[in-house]
Amino acid sequence: MGKINRKSSNRRVSQGLLTEDDTWIFLSRSFCKRSLMRANAAKAFIRVWKVMEMCFKILLQEKRVTQRELFYKLLCVSPDCFSSQLQVNRTIQDVVSLLRCSRFSLGIMASSRGIVAGRLLVQEPDKEMVDCSECGSSGYAISGDLNLLDRLVMKTDARYIIIVEKHAIFQRLAEDRVFNHIPIILITARGYPDIATRFLLHRMSRTFPELPIMALVDWNPAGLAILCTFKFGSIGMGLEAYRYACNVKWLGLRGDDLQLIPEESFVSLKPRDLQIAKSLMSSETLQEKHREELALMVQSGKRAEIEALYFHGYDYLGKYIAKKIVQANYI
Amino acid sequence: MGLREIYITCTHLCFQTVVDRAISDICILLQCSRHNLNVVSVGKGLVMGWLQFLEAGRKFDCISSPTTAYTIPVHVEEVKDIVSVAKYILIVEKESVFQRLANDKFCNANRCIVITGRGYPDIPTRRFLRLLVEKLCLPVYCLVDCDPYGFDILTTYRFGSMQMAYDAKNLRVPEVQWLGVFPSDFEKYDLPQQCLLPLTSEDKRRTETLLLRCYLQKEVPEWRLELELMLQKGVKFEIEAFSVHTLSFLSDQYLPSKIQEVEVLPGNKIKS
Repeated sequence: MGKINRKSSNRRVSQGLLTEDDTWIFLSRSFCKRSLMRANAAKAFIRVWKVMEMCFKILLQEKRVTQRELFYKLLCVSPDCFSSQLQVNRTIQDVVSLLRCSRFSLGIMASSRGIVAGRLLVQEPDKEMVDCSECGSSGYAISGDLNLLDRLVMKTDARYIIIVEKHAIFQRLAEDRVFNHIPIILITARGYPDIATRFLLHRMSRTFPELPIMALVDWNPAGLAILCTFKFGSIGMGLEAYRYACNVKWLGLRGDDLQLIPEESFVSLKPRDLQIAKSLMSSETLQEKHREELALMVQSGKRAEIEALYFHGYDYLGKYIAKKIVQANYI
Repeated sequence: MGLREIYITCTHLCFQTVVDRAISDICILLQCSRHNLNVVSVGKGLVMGWLQFLEAGRKFDCISSPTTAYTIPVHVEEVKDIVSVAKYILIVEKESVFQRLANDKFCNANRCIVITGRGYPDIPTRRFLRLLVEKLCLPVYCLVDCDPYGFDILTTYRFGSMQMAYDAKNLRVPEVQWLGVFPSDFEKYDLPQQCLLPLTSEDKRRTETLLLRCYLQKEVPEWRLELELMLQKGVKFEIEAFSVHTLSFLSDQYLPSKIQEVEVLPGNKIKS
């Protein structure tokens, strides 16, 4: 039986392969064979079937379920098989790999933290068109329903898509209506990207292939990690992550912006940052230029946040973005 | 301006916690709220149901699609023209429960407004709730997990948080009633034993701290009894446990029966 082989060597993007056009990444074929003679393996096998059975019943009712609800149902229906949420989550990933489907198609609801603002018109089926530039600083909330996102009709006159790492920055840019000065679409997952936000971004990249996608992240390894997750996907999400990869470029903050930041705004890198940096460095898919930036970060031992740019005034961020875009200063 | 923005501009002076406290001090000194100083926080609350309002020229027409979630606007002072045909406001602790209600199309069968702060409610959510209560004069029911965190969130909505105590007058909502989930609901609604989770030592410590809060003595002694029962039994359980019966048990049976109890015997069965 094919299951995801969870070895540490597979846990990073290091084992991925890049295709020529740099937009897709495939995880290595890491299946393992399990002998059904060992009790543990047999149990894992049964768990997979139990989950499939439960999901099937739920889909028949035309309902959706959260992972937590699934845990309780499995706990009560098959108490010998399931004892923790983590076990349920892992079994779900095994089902995803076995059936080569997405969690969503199993009927599992996901929440979405993503929001969009800017020069984009979206229309949900049978609803009115929503203008994301009129959505105020809270933006248009991205639904967790991938089916719905798939049927969204989108129109734009923007020339660039900008992913913003942090909600506060997104809010600032949306409030200042930066998209009235520069033709952009702003999108954020408010931190670590969730599947729905990545899915919508992927759809946007397919629908508007001529629009470059750029990321505005803090100057620290975690920021680059977020960029890479949008770009390549995350191992933690299992095999479905690769579907929603996009060609994302790094707008800022970067090494050449450091001169704009006052000395006091720099903070030293913490051990966690260095851990993330090490993990990124070991990845074979990390671009050369990004690798250089990361090396500079580690070498300097410092990190800085985008808010540091406010030193030059609260409207400086818009000007900074505009200048970089005009100069095509993204890698 | 966001808190982090202010902090970064003054990094050379201090830490962010210091900035936070400084702003609180200024608010106390000037006897104003944070938003009067133009300090805003990012918003994460969601609302759905039989409600319509305007915010800075933008129309939020939740009524046209009562099962769609809308983000609660950050600039609550710009919300106006609130119109509603709801009979009550339901606060839910977690986003997953909010999603469950949306998925079950709870608002189609029940004329209400559902709000969630996605955990501990942020300031815009609390201010928005207060505004709705002031303008609409509707009863407010709160649904949280039967555990110390759920209880803490309930008290945050009702009494306000310790951190923002100086602004409690504008942020608390005394009309909030505890709808559920109670320790007694476990037997009442026939939940299997496996759904009861043991209280961890952290949970117990937390519960003991909660029991020391002043308002549990005077204002809501019934709440205290339930909390003590939880500690005594040493168990907790989550709203999702109801899904063991059917996925829509919460929407179809638990909530309607609880709300009906309130309407028939106001202030009696429900701890208010």
